[in-house]
Amino acid sequence: MTMQHLLINVSDLTVEFDKGFRCSNINWQLFPGQHWMICGSNGAGKSALAAILTGAGDIDGGYITGVPERIGVVSFEAQAELIEAERRKDDADILDVIAEGTPAGEIIAQVCKDQTLADKLCEQFGLTPLLDRAFRKLSTGETRKVMLIRALTSKPQLLILDEPFEGLDAASLAALQQHLLSLASHIPMVIVLNRLDQCPEFVTHIAFMQDGKLTQQIARDDHDAYQQLTQLMHLKTTQLTLPPTDIDHTLPELDPAKPLVQLKSAAVKYTDTVIFKDLDWTINRGEHWQLTGPNGSGKTALLSLITGDHPQCYVNDIFVFGFKRGSGESIWQIKQFIGYVSTALQWEYTVGTSLRNVIISGFYDSIGLYSKYTDNQRDIANQWLEVLGMRDRADETFTSQSYGDQRLLLIARAMVKHPPLLILDEPCLGLDDMNRQQVLSLIELICARSDSTVLYVNHHAEDKIVGVENYLALDSL
Amino acid sequence: MSTNYFNTLSLREQLEQLGKCRFMHLDEFSDGVDALKGKKMVVIGCGAQGLNQGLNLRDSGLDVSYTLRAEAIAEKRQSWKNATENGFTVGTYEELIPTADVVLNLTPDKQHTAVVNSVMPLMKEGACLSYSHGFNIVEEGMQIRDDLTVIMVAPKCPGSEVRAEYVRGFGVPTLIAVHENNDPKGEGLALAKAYAVGTGGHKAGVLMSSFIAEVKSDLMGEQTILCGMLQTGSLLCFDKMIEEGIDPGYASKLIQYGWETVTEALKYGGVTNMMDRLSNPAKIKAFDLAEEMKDIMRPLYNKHQDDIMTGKFSETMMADWANDDKELLGWRADTAETAYEKTPATEDEITEQEYFDNGILMVAMVKAGVELAFETMTSAGIIADSAYYESLHETPLIANTIARKKLYEMNSTISDTAEYGCYLYNHACVPLLGDFMKNIKSDVIGAGLQLNHTGVDNARLIEVNDAIRNHPVEAIGSTLRGYMSDMKKIV
Repeated sequence: MTMQHLLINVSDLTVEFDKGFRCSNINWQLFPGQHWMICGSNGAGKSALAAILTGAGDIDGGYITGVPERIGVVSFEAQAELIEAERRKDDADILDVIAEGTPAGEIIAQVCKDQTLADKLCEQFGLTPLLDRAFRKLSTGETRKVMLIRALTSKPQLLILDEPFEGLDAASLAALQQHLLSLASHIPMVIVLNRLDQCPEFVTHIAFMQDGKLTQQIARDDHDAYQQLTQLMHLKTTQLTLPPTDIDHTLPELDPAKPLVQLKSAAVKYTDTVIFKDLDWTINRGEHWQLTGPNGSGKTALLSLITGDHPQCYVNDIFVFGFKRGSGESIWQIKQFIGYVSTALQWEYTVGTSLRNVIISGFYDSIGLYSKYTDNQRDIANQWLEVLGMRDRADETFTSQSYGDQRLLLIARAMVKHPPLLILDEPCLGLDDMNRQQVLSLIELICARSDSTVLYVNHHAEDKIVGVENYLALDSL
Repeated sequence: MSTNYFNTLSLREQLEQLGKCRFMHLDEFSDGVDALKGKKMVVIGCGAQGLNQGLNLRDSGLDVSYTLRAEAIAEKRQSWKNATENGFTVGTYEELIPTADVVLNLTPDKQHTAVVNSVMPLMKEGACLSYSHGFNIVEEGMQIRDDLTVIMVAPKCPGSEVRAEYVRGFGVPTLIAVHENNDPKGEGLALAKAYAVGTGGHKAGVLMSSFIAEVKSDLMGEQTILCGMLQTGSLLCFDKMIEEGIDPGYASKLIQYGWETVTEALKYGGVTNMMDRLSNPAKIKAFDLAEEMKDIMRPLYNKHQDDIMTGKFSETMMADWANDDKELLGWRADTAETAYEKTPATEDEITEQEYFDNGILMVAMVKAGVELAFETMTSAGIIADSAYYESLHETPLIANTIARKKLYEMNSTISDTAEYGCYLYNHACVPLLGDFMKNIKSDVIGAGLQLNHTGVDNARLIEVNDAIRNHPVEAIGSTLRGYMSDMKKIV
């Protein structure tokens, strides 16, 4: 590789982002034929480094040259932005009608420059039957696929993939990996990954971010350096203890003889589609469950029947925490027994409140905090911040945190009251190796306690939890 | 046509009703939804308000179903889909209304007479009829059966926000009222309070008002500052920029998104904050322009308020309803033909601050319109709280519709009542500001002041700041916004 072929040159660049985050003094050179993986812990600036290549942030010093015109980008931020844009476009309020939103197919067509490829990818990702459905109505995994297809079919000169594998079912993951491999010969890629074990074969270089600085750049075939990096990523797994719950915050007694949740021939259907039907499920106290199924099989819909967030919970035969749904109970009477974390919750949690308040809001089941809390609750929240290593950031704003850190906070919010039922819908999405281990350990600690029952959704076969012994698999209909 | 209800009252009663408006405290809602517990609530209309209020009420443990016209059910129209996919029982008027303890009329204003006339005979003895706007009762003089209780519950935000805030564990500010002529069992207030709790409104603040205060302030707000001023302002500012040689695409964009951007500042910190976004020289300029416009437009605002109070406005408009909306549709078509409407916005970016710097006249128009509407309403006997909600509070909401699809769409999507009033205002206001506009140059609209130094006289700045901050709309605004954010950030 010679200097005259230098593709992108980042020289002593300092960039300031909207959220107040800074990447400082970045020196980074990308040559043709190279594919980079960016790694680092949550909040280190991995996504920020990738975003710099797309022109994000305000340059405060240094320069960047050689960025190609057409860049295909996939990231949670871009996904959230598109979803938010669709929400804004919704004319419902002005027209007083409920708008359907843009169909997924149209969202792809907006940027697609290769319809044949788009058709092929849609087929491989199992997205073809969903193209007429409104983008907003797709599941988390499905919108992710739409983002991927947009990026891949836009004839990109550079691909920036921020956690491209997260949230994909096994079949789609294999298809994507194979497609990326076929692109590797002619399109340079920059891939942000939290997990070293997911690093594709074709990646030639690894960039390691720490506190907004690019501290290490190594070639994949430099085995010693690679070994050191692996160790660095796994460093400082602390001795974990679960903070106590609030003794003053008592819940109504549950009848120990009754199941926590009982669904009889449950179904979720819309006028044109059936998401699932004839589903029987009983969750007894202390019986931890893992729920699996491909994207779009209705995992989230099923969970939201239990949490009461799905409006069709009122037309199903559902018994939760002693209530027959639709018998005059309020949704807050249900939610008081549940701790919940999911990607959808993270998208909805757009409230500019402090990190501490986000954790305290778990006691009140609210998004944002609208109640007076006690000193004890504040102490408990501080202990959780300690566990997360965020004690010194307690008063910072939630929305200004990185995606992974937000996720950790929402997990703490879900666990803070030691709920009778803890629902974790792909909790580790967007977490780096170290934090993933930590979260899994926390879940195990919670599982081991007799008073919380865990319901866990996950795609990664390797993320098994000790204590989870019951499995429910949803099929794609 | 029935008689205008307001006009049947004595002056003493009129003033008493107009002056009804009280901010209720959280502890007044300690009974929760008890008054509605176990009662059957049937919603007419499944648009954004209807659907989202129903979702909240059901999640609060109440029994909610939807009634639609037989054709809507047979043809499986969107409203039918909305209700069924959300797991609600849907039935015809004949099937559901006779079973209802509370009928929630959430259809558009214009349909009220027809809807109420067809459901009233089906309603059971002693049931409750709820409105979200009082036009039908106050202006059309609809007579409701003596045994029925009539209340109003009006969330002061769009339907999707009503739902989103509830899901977060909060709510949106809500206005409630009881029609005193129809409160045979004295349970109207209890029902309205329970309804407000069911939608989450009590957490964000409830205003106890009257049907009359709601209608007379709502009409005034929508036809003057909310829609009228923005329409007139858009047309005048655009034509002036073209005359001054500003790029038409730029002019079009500055207006389309400018209203939204400047009123966003209004939403957070009132007129004071909106004015504070300008440089000192620009602020003084905007202040002077606003003062001048207020003097010119005051008689027009008074006329609108007078016509609303006497019922002349609704009479004129209802005559047009009876004439197949001939005037309304004609004026709507005229709006579509204006130069502003037909000029597409540029793709070039305009930064948030630039909307202020180059839109000084627009800021001045918002200030003048908000303050005048507020002053006119309060001097007509409407309480400051009501006047605030119907002027300043709602301006950003309407500005947002212009940002989406400019005037033609704003007008076809706001209520027909608001639209009709908006055109009346516009037809009078454009010529009224004719002489004033002759002296306007691109420094206050389109190009910015472009000063080499931004120094101002201290004494003059203090005087202007005082005048802005001490306007009565700022005092009530900071109190009401304070209630909202107090509860939001109770910590």
